[in-house]
Formats: sequence, structure tokens, C-alpha cells
Amino acid sequence: MMTGAEVMVRCLEEEGIRMVFGYPGVTICPFFDALYDSDIKAILVRQEQNGGHMASGYARTSKKPAVCVATSGPGATNLVTALGTAYADSIPIIAITGQVSSDLMGRDVFQEADITGAAEPFVKYSYVVRDAHDIPRVMKEAFHIASTGRSGPVLIDMPIDVQRQETEYEPVRQINIRGYKPTIKGNNLQIKKVIETLKSAKRPLICVGGGVILADAENEVRRFATEHNIPVVSTMMGIGVMPGDSSLYLGMLGENGKPHANYALSECDVFMLVGARVANRAVVRPYRLERRGTSIIHIDVDPAEIGKNLGTTIPLVGDVKVVFRKLLDMDFKSDYSEWDYDLAIRKAAYVDRRTFNPEYVDPCKFVRTLSGKMDDDAVYLADVGENQLWSSDNYIMKNGKFLTSGGFGTMGYSIPAALGARAACPDTQVVAVCGDGSFQMSMMELATMQQWELPIKIVIMKNGYLGLVREYQHRCYNDRYIGVKLDGNPDFEKLAEAYGLSYFYLRDNSAMDETVDAFLACEKAAIMVCEVYPYDSVKE
Amino acid sequence: MRGIFSVTVENKAGVLSHVAGLFARRGFNIDSLAVGETEDKDISNMTIISTGDERVMEQIEKQLNKKIDVIKVRRYPDNMVVTRELLMIKVAYTNATRADIMQICSITGAHIADLAPRTMVIELTAKTTKIDRFIRLMQPFGIAEIARTGAVAIQREMDQDRL
Repeated sequence: MMTGAEVMVRCLEEEGIRMVFGYPGVTICPFFDALYDSDIKAILVRQEQNGGHMASGYARTSKKPAVCVATSGPGATNLVTALGTAYADSIPIIAITGQVSSDLMGRDVFQEADITGAAEPFVKYSYVVRDAHDIPRVMKEAFHIASTGRSGPVLIDMPIDVQRQETEYEPVRQINIRGYKPTIKGNNLQIKKVIETLKSAKRPLICVGGGVILADAENEVRRFATEHNIPVVSTMMGIGVMPGDSSLYLGMLGENGKPHANYALSECDVFMLVGARVANRAVVRPYRLERRGTSIIHIDVDPAEIGKNLGTTIPLVGDVKVVFRKLLDMDFKSDYSEWDYDLAIRKAAYVDRRTFNPEYVDPCKFVRTLSGKMDDDAVYLADVGENQLWSSDNYIMKNGKFLTSGGFGTMGYSIPAALGARAACPDTQVVAVCGDGSFQMSMMELATMQQWELPIKIVIMKNGYLGLVREYQHRCYNDRYIGVKLDGNPDFEKLAEAYGLSYFYLRDNSAMDETVDAFLACEKAAIMVCEVYPYDSVKE
Repeated sequence: MRGIFSVTVENKAGVLSHVAGLFARRGFNIDSLAVGETEDKDISNMTIISTGDERVMEQIEKQLNKKIDVIKVRRYPDNMVVTRELLMIKVAYTNATRADIMQICSITGAHIADLAPRTMVIELTAKTTKIDRFIRLMQPFGIAEIARTGAVAIQREMDQDRL
């Protein structure tokens, strides 16, 4: 006989889980106690939300679901933002929450929260386990649901009595969920239509989203675009699909994107969306495309995304990798050289007219220098705010990863997600770039970083403001700055010292190369502060 | 446009709230919603009637399908289904009006389910439009209370003869 908690741990071992990110409390104590006898590491975080982000960073780097744990009540509700963040970007995480004893549920007892109710809009699925016999099935299903089809977070709420309940462990091998059969293969007829449409196209354009990375289909998409000379733009979540030096790649599109990428969108006659959900930041005016009669091919594993925000000419439901392998097998000749040439000229002619105060660090130049010097397979995490837009605009993609909270825009994501990425790949260089605002949203995790020896590099673009909101107030509210000034910033050098971190400082552009070199070469975890002019903007 | 959705779901706690929450969250209308067990006690059936344009209808269908506890979604155009709704209505009567009410009942196929000294409870199973009309007919007599189930729907057999 085993306890429910022991069965939970056994199931996690079966799934190949090596660590969980969490914060204990009374109602999840049986589970933590069972971890005591397991090889699974319990990584203590400093706040549950960050545990969720760590699992997210871990999952995105290892390409497998990762686990975060919290206790009932406030511990569980603290997880909600992390779940929302993972849900918006389709990241497979498993959240396990403790719950008060089954017989007390619904009575508003101490630290009770209806977490499955609260998290319902932000999870792919959730369970409340009422009987320990169900644990192996629930665990198996949870990992299956989280990682297949359109991946996403799954929540398992475990009342404490179920964790204590004695039960036999019977492993579950077969999964049969009658309401869940994701379409993977892609309809052959639709695939033929895609090819026919591309054959008659004059100005096709591929737009890649995060779905390409989630499907591990970067190579297939790159090959398809290259073989047929089809230009590519990306959403923020799709950064990293195309290498920066590809002549076909026009960069990010949308409100914060490159003008030539947006030009390509407005001029194309076939728009092929791949693993992207047409949110308002990327395709600001979808109706214009519809009205102009652009043929829209939408390839996504989630049928509900197709036609949601943009009318579609050819819907194609399936796993991006599988679909592109089929597309690569189809033989067709095409000549888009005129269009490619037009775009290449525009790309080459693009001049960044933004100017930055020369007495401070130029954030765009800094991102190019930093990402250019980083290891080929390094992980770059951008937080949210001006730092994110400067990063996505200037990041030089080699063979690494660019991770950010693109869908939800959760401030404070970069540091915990970076720790998760580092935990998944202990030999990989991991750099988190944040602003002084977003840094302070998760700086408590510096302790987690030191406790668990996860040396990452943290860049703080310090401008004393919540810069993106300040910029917005500048543009839309006549400089009536309110609630955006970060007076009371700590002395970051002393803070680094307090946590035992190396510290680097850039006052302006003059010593950028050497300082970045030293920062990246540093063995220990390190913080680097860049002084950014408070009134430098993302937009011209 | 009106869409009739017949949704087969797992008969589990919370499923109704997940489905209703989905409609609320995404701003889809629910004109009526009726839920009941099917011949298999692990499966329930929901009949949801909603209005909106074609894009909304398609999204409703897709979003419902995305729910893991939803086993099957069928979306019917109006003419392909038989829909019925049950109305229970309490109407005041006097000796002068009783015969009139009973006559309307017999014309419309309504039954008197309960007769008390000053009020009667009438039940009517019919299409929603017919029920609306019946309620209007009862208004002059004085309606004390109304309860209605919302429509349930089942697909017609579309055989050659009927076409």
C-alpha cells in the first residue's frame, strides 16, 4: 500500500520529472513529504507565481511539461497569473495545488480557495481529485493533455485527505479521453489547395508564430521558405524561427514591428499564417486583409484559432511539423523573384530613425551587442515593457532561444523563467533582460537562484520609469505622468553584493564591448545595470 | 441568425459551469440552455440556443469542441431539428373567465395541471414561438408565475420521402 502522495511522486518519476518548482504549505505537505524519499528535487521558490514561470521556462527549454506546486488558498491563487501567462503562450505546465480536506471543501475554511473555479479561464483542463485510486489516471491524462495538440497548462487540485489516503499503485498506460482527439495530420486535400494557391501566387508571405517553436518545426518551416523563396515575417512569439541572417526574413510585424515587415503584409496576395493566432499586436487591422481579397492560409493545431480574428480562405488544422513535412514533399515550381527583390530593397533601405541620448546606453545597440556576443545556443529572455520591444526588435538570432511573455505580457516573467531554463539546461548560457520595473517584480528570486545554484545573467535597463507606460502617457495623455516614476529604486550594486552576485555597470556606450564580454564570461551569476535615458522611446 | 447546438458532455461536476463560463467570457449569447442526462448516465446532453452572425456561430462550435469534457457538438439549422419547450404557468381565474381559459387550452393543446380556488397551473409543451404566443394569450387573465425549461432539440430523420 502507498499513500496518494507517494503515488503522485511515483507518477511524476514515471513522467521523467527531475524537479518541481514550488512553495509548501500544510495542505500540500503529504506530497512534499513523499518527495523527501524521491530523487525529484523540490526547488523552493520565493513566491508561487514565480514557481509557475520557472516551470514555464523549464518547459520551453526542455520541450516537455514541467511541474509547479503550491499549497491551498493564497498559494494556489498566486499561481493564477503564471497559469494565465502559460495559457496565453500555450506552454505545457502542470500545476499541482494542495486543497483542504474533501469533507471541508465548500465551507470556506482556513486557506480554502476554489482554485479550479478561479483558474478555469486560464487552463487547458483541471482536475479535483476525490479518490486516490484516480491519481495515476489523472496524472497520465494531465501530462498528455498539457503536451499534445495545442499545449497548455493543466491544474490538479489535491485535497489533503486524498494525498493521505492509502491506495494500491496501478500504473496507467492507456489514455482514452473521448472528448479529446487533437487533429495532427492535416487534411491532404487542404494541403493540395495550399500548394495550388502558392503556385498561382505572385506575392506570398509566411507569418510564423510561437506555434512553430512549440511544434519543434523551425527546420521544416525554414526549409520550405528557403526552397521556394517565400519571404517570412514573425510575431513576437515566433522570433527565433528564422535565423537573423536569412535574406528572406523581414523581422517582426505589427504595431512594434519593422516597417518592411508591415509593408509585406499590406502588399502580399497570399498570407500564410503558421502557428499564430492573429492577436491585435501583430495584425492590427485584419479586416483590411479580408477586404482586399488576400488569400489567407491559416495553419494551426487549434481549430478554434482559425477564423477567430481573421477570415480564412484555406483553413488547415494540424501539427505544424507534420503539415510542413507534407508540404515539403509536394513538388511545385514558383518564381517570386520580383517580390523577393522588392522586399529585399526595402529591407536594405530601412533606416532606423530613432535617436537615443548619446550620454546614456543606446538600448538597441546594446541588445545587438549582447545577443551578438552570446553563445550560439544561448537563451535570451526579454521581460515586458520597453526592454521587451527593444529586445525583440534587435535580438540577433543564431541558434538559441528567445523567450518572453508575448501573449499575456506578464511583467517579472524573465528572471524566474530564466531560472527554469537554466535548471533545464545547466550548461547553457541564460540571459534575462528586464527593466528596473520588471526586475523589481521578481527580484526575490535572486535568493532562489543562489540557493539552487542556477547562475544566470541579469540585465537591468534602468531608466527610473515604467518606461512603456510613460511613453504611452507621453503620446496619449500629454505628458501627464502618473504612477510611472520609479523613485525609491534600490542601489543595485549593493543589492548584487547582498545576494553575492557579480556586478557590472554601463553608464554609456563607450565601454559596451568590454563590459558585455566580461559580463558574459563571468562564472558567477551576475547583474548588469545599463543606464538608459528616461525619455528615450521605443517608437520614433 | 439562430443556432441550435446539441452538446454531448461528460456528466461531471463543473462541466455546466465551464460551458456557461465559456459563453460569458467570450460574449456569446445564451437564449436558452437545457441540460439533462442521456441514456448513458456518464453522459449529459445540453441544448443551447444562441444568436449571432456566422462567425460567432462557428466560434461557439469550435470553442465548445475545444473543451475536453465536451464529447460532441452538433450544430443544427432551424429546419433540421424538432425543438420543444415545457411551460408551466400559473393563471388567476374567476367563474367568468374559467371557461375562456379552458377553451384556449384545448385549442392550443395545453393541459391544466392543477386547479386551486383562484388560480390554475397550466402546462404546455410546444415550440418556443408557440409558447410565447400562449403566454400573451394568458396575460389578460393575470399571470401569477411562469416557469419554462428552455428548448431541447433532437435531429429529424432526413429520409428521401420527406425531401
